[in-house]
Amino acid sequence: MTRWNGMRALALVAVAVLTGGCEWPPPDTVQTGTRGLAMEWNANREVWNDSVQAIQARAPQIATPPSQALDPAPAGTYQNVQVLGHLSEVEFTITMNAIQQWVAPNEGCQYCHVYNDDGSINYASDDIYTKVVAREMLKMVQDINTNWTSHVNEERGVNCWTCHQGQPVPTNFWFYTDRDQPLRHYLDREDLRVQSDYAIAGTGPANRSSIDQTMYVYTLMSDISNSLGVNCTFCHNTGRFAVWEESSPQRLTALRGLQMIRNANMSHMVALQDAWPENRVGPMGDGPKLSCSTCHQGANMPQYSNPASYGQAWNAFNQIGVPHPTVAADPDAGQQ
Amino acid sequence: MSEYQNLLTQVQVHGPPDPGVPGSDDQGWERVGTPGSMSWLLGKIGDAQVGPLHLGLLGMASIAFGLAAIEIMGLHFLAQVDWSLTEFFRQLPWLSLDPPSPAYGLMFPPMNQGGWYLVAGGFLTFSILLWWLRMHLRAKALGMGTHVSWAFAAAIWLFLVTGFFRPLLMGAWGEAVPFGIMSHLHWTASLSMRHGNLFYNPFHMLSIAFLYGSAVLWAMHGATILATAKMGGEREIDQSTDPGTAAERMMVFWRWTMGFNANMESIHRWAYWFSIFTVITGGIGILISGPVVDNWYRWGLKHGIVPEYSHTYEAPAPPADQGGLQGTPPVTFPGLDGGDR
Repeated sequence: MTRWNGMRALALVAVAVLTGGCEWPPPDTVQTGTRGLAMEWNANREVWNDSVQAIQARAPQIATPPSQALDPAPAGTYQNVQVLGHLSEVEFTITMNAIQQWVAPNEGCQYCHVYNDDGSINYASDDIYTKVVAREMLKMVQDINTNWTSHVNEERGVNCWTCHQGQPVPTNFWFYTDRDQPLRHYLDREDLRVQSDYAIAGTGPANRSSIDQTMYVYTLMSDISNSLGVNCTFCHNTGRFAVWEESSPQRLTALRGLQMIRNANMSHMVALQDAWPENRVGPMGDGPKLSCSTCHQGANMPQYSNPASYGQAWNAFNQIGVPHPTVAADPDAGQQ
Repeated sequence: MSEYQNLLTQVQVHGPPDPGVPGSDDQGWERVGTPGSMSWLLGKIGDAQVGPLHLGLLGMASIAFGLAAIEIMGLHFLAQVDWSLTEFFRQLPWLSLDPPSPAYGLMFPPMNQGGWYLVAGGFLTFSILLWWLRMHLRAKALGMGTHVSWAFAAAIWLFLVTGFFRPLLMGAWGEAVPFGIMSHLHWTASLSMRHGNLFYNPFHMLSIAFLYGSAVLWAMHGATILATAKMGGEREIDQSTDPGTAAERMMVFWRWTMGFNANMESIHRWAYWFSIFTVITGGIGILISGPVVDNWYRWGLKHGIVPEYSHTYEAPAPPADQGGLQGTPPVTFPGLDGGDR
């Protein structure tokens, strides 16, 4: 009897061990390359839907600005407006409310704006560092939506919500650790390749790339992979990583993304270096920097392309992102 | 009482320990644990007698060097987790003592930038070579052939290729294998990646064939002997000089099932050489990855071993701005006031 029970227990354990990693329903598999290369993309519909619903539930309901072009707010309406001077009063107000909802829903306007002792608000003041940061971030969003349509979908663009998700500090960012930090490729290192395009050593341009540097590429690629929730085969035929002709089109999008982040970090994040207070800098004293995961957060399309977080539902990203279509960009517009 | 033991009879011989025959160069002090003792537990998986252990001068020196090497590694691991024993065990697979940066070439770097790695590696190499010499001399002292030490030498060849000969040819100690559980696996992946996929390396192919072949041969041999144990099949030497029922049956079995059989002697040569060739061919493959062949994928293209695949998508053309080979990382940090940190 006991032996029989032991066998049953063993069988139960065996079933648990063998099926513990299984998912239901079975994942959808989309083959993206030639058979046998494992170039495929797997997604569990249920997990996917849960993630999308979670994003939908989180996304704030924000008023939609008028879709037609309006005249900019007359000079003198606002003081010290350096980036959004091209907006009409209606758009400006809705945009400011939206930014607060996207970035500081619990902190409110005073997260960036100075509240005077008498209860009035000094909107023009730059005394709080978050306002200086927010202004640079608006420039960055404009830069990305205008100049990086090679990576960011033109129709959707990005807005504050893409990274912030209702938190003043986005979840994913990085700091310097040392000179050889792999994430440095997101900052100021353009050259990544380690493989040469010739077989026999000495028959082509010298290639002194070391195992160390290969490791560096590997780590960076793993960071991209983790950020997007995809495997190497999403972009590469892994038997021959370097060959573009056998890569998927996504590899080109990823390259543009790397260049985009490098630009965003070098032009906008690094520019904020003096603005950061002590509690916002890393161990080496540098401010936070972006990587793929800052926007993607585990999804190969940020927010799973959920309309609730993009311009399809709220098109003001156009107002934030690019100068209003009918108004010429004027850096001094609206400034006192 | 059975004269021989095997897993079927499960009989253990316990009695006065056998101190072993006197060696020709014995001084009388080299053997530790004389006259030996009996272990019931070890008797379950092998001979019940434990010891005496012949350490001698070579053995002592080898253990001393080996301990020093492992201590250097261990202390480095501990320092990496701020001397916390809990973290040491928790993070052990990810801790690593790394070789110096390739920028140091073949120079001796500062101790905290790879110097300790070279010291540990040197000690480990001494330890292994002394252990090899000890095994070689012990076999001679017992009047045996030196097959075991030469098989061990083949493994040492692979060890020396990865940690000494190849770094020497590449001109940088930075090419050597890090001491760490995950880090040495990462080294393996990176070596393959750096040289355009090691699977296109014919010596790697050979090494894999010998490795899998060894596994099959050892399984066939072990299974054959166990299967004939009740007829005395494990008395291999007796059976090879004076074939009896067991030897006859196992040979007939293989002739029936695959038309050919190794004999009692040659099966051991099969296993011996398959095992040895695994590391010899592997060592050659790694040694020429870099010094001779830079990109095995390109080599494979030249020699027709790379299959062509049709595309199910429109593959991108190589973009003009894809970036070049990696250079030296910049010494300054954007946003921070210059200087190498």
